[in-house]
Amino acid sequence: MKGTFLALGALLLAGMAGPASAQTMSYGQAGALIAKSCGPSIERFCSKDNIGTGTVQQCLQANQDKVPKQCFDDFAAVQASIAKRVAAQQGAWKACAASAQQFCSGVQPGDANLLDCLLASSKVVRPACQQTLVDAGWAN
Amino acid sequence: MTRFTRLFGGLALAAVLAAPLATSASAQTEMTDTQIMKGLSGVTNDDPSLTVELLRKMAQDAVAANQPLSLNKSEIAKKLDKLAQITVQIQFALNSSIIRPESYATLGSIADAMHHPILWNYKFVVVGNTDATGTRAYNLKLSQERADAIVQALVTLFRVSPDRLQALGLGQEALQVPSKPDDPINRRVQIFNIGTVAPMPKATLNPQ
Repeated sequence: MKGTFLALGALLLAGMAGPASAQTMSYGQAGALIAKSCGPSIERFCSKDNIGTGTVQQCLQANQDKVPKQCFDDFAAVQASIAKRVAAQQGAWKACAASAQQFCSGVQPGDANLLDCLLASSKVVRPACQQTLVDAGWAN
Repeated sequence: MTRFTRLFGGLALAAVLAAPLATSASAQTEMTDTQIMKGLSGVTNDDPSLTVELLRKMAQDAVAANQPLSLNKSEIAKKLDKLAQITVQIQFALNSSIIRPESYATLGSIADAMHHPILWNYKFVVVGNTDATGTRAYNLKLSQERADAIVQALVTLFRVSPDRLQALGLGQEALQVPSKPDDPINRRVQIFNIGTVAPMPKATLNPQ
């Protein structure tokens, strides 16, 4: 019983922390976080590596005794968040197919029309759809 | 043909872009985000004849012919003016294509816009521009390398599909302010919307 209560408490806490920790970060926030945590090390040790080439991480790793641990933690968090966001974006229409059919039938697809309809119907769309739109970065 | 005319779409994109705006401190980034919103929610005309290959050839021809700098906008700049666009400052290491960390957030904001469904079916040209200091040929080469570096970052770090992006260095051939060729204002990155990736989906009773 006590165990259940504790588990419930942990769940509640996780739920409360949810909006801050579970939500994916925007790409802009992701870029800002890498710049803040890793920027000084990148400029100091990896000034010949460009961020898009993938060699920046290898370079940081090679200098890991001099690079703050926070940089590696935040870099990993950014990559996990981006992966989650991309997956949500790719899976959004599947997750929202039933809601779209129910509430947005006849909406002209393209240019985010369907998204606008789903967001306007957010009080009634299915929770899985709503969560996917949040993870995709398209809803709050 | 018009695009981005819907108020809702513009507002949704504004919300997406307001998030990084809230956390950014520098005035430059704020200006950039405003420009992203304005540029990508405006109504524009399509010009299917305007391709990266054509623009690249115009720039290469201008460099080869060593055409004198004009006080008017170049033909390339005039063509580009017609497209939906944003202009951003990306900080690079001196004489190099290494993007400085202070610009990572700006690149991310651009990716935020490109990942929004409003822009999903559109493709973009990333254009690097220099001022007129240095040789024309060097400027053309460096600006191409810088545009390549931005596309690479958008693709690998921020997961924008490579099919939607092309990099084009124009060196000093599309000066923003032709009357002040050496002004740093001419050093800039522009992103142009050059049309749809695929035909826009048709209306349907069962949208999927």
